[in-house]
Amino acid sequence: MSFYENTLITRQDLPKSELDKIKEKYSDLINNNSGKVVKIEEWGLLNLARKIKRYNKGFYIHYKFEGNKETLNEINKKIKIDDLIIRHLIVKYKNLDTKNEYFKKEK
Amino acid sequence: MKRKGRKFQKKSSSSLNKLSLFQKNEGRFGKSCPLSVKNAPTIDYKNINLLKKYISENDKILSSKITSVSSGKQKKLTKEIKKAKILGLL
Repeated sequence: MSFYENTLITRQDLPKSELDKIKEKYSDLINNNSGKVVKIEEWGLLNLARKIKRYNKGFYIHYKFEGNKETLNEINKKIKIDDLIIRHLIVKYKNLDTKNEYFKKEK
Repeated sequence: MKRKGRKFQKKSSSSLNKLSLFQKNEGRFGKSCPLSVKNAPTIDYKNINLLKKYISENDKILSSKITSVSSGKQKKLTKEIKKAKILGLL
């Protein structure tokens, strides 16, 4: 088991109920595939530095979780199919720091 | 491009000249590595305010000659900046 961080960027024109659905969907996905969610952060609607798939803004959801190869495979599979998600990034970490939140002040 | 090249030569010619040229933007960079000090900020793709200091106006990564970041930290910086670019943060 090792630690990972996963950041999703969703489309800007989604209602709030849809966002909550996505948030739950992926946290359940991690928990059901031999993983464990440590923390979920919502960075809110941010401007993208450049256009990504014709969108100027994106809604950021950030997961910190513990998992293994199966979890990663499952996440990558689901994200590839998902139309609502523009882009994602998964980074491996030795230790997670849950104290610092770089995007909290902007709210 | 020619202009840029000339500017760079001037910078390297004398230390005083370098300071005056950089006073607008990068006046804060000293001789020692700013990221190897005690209580230095963590280099991370989420820490955008830090990463913004180390890219130029055209979103290029500044060389360690200009910013005087140590080689180990520079490698880490480039990796984190590229991650941030993937996410559209920079």
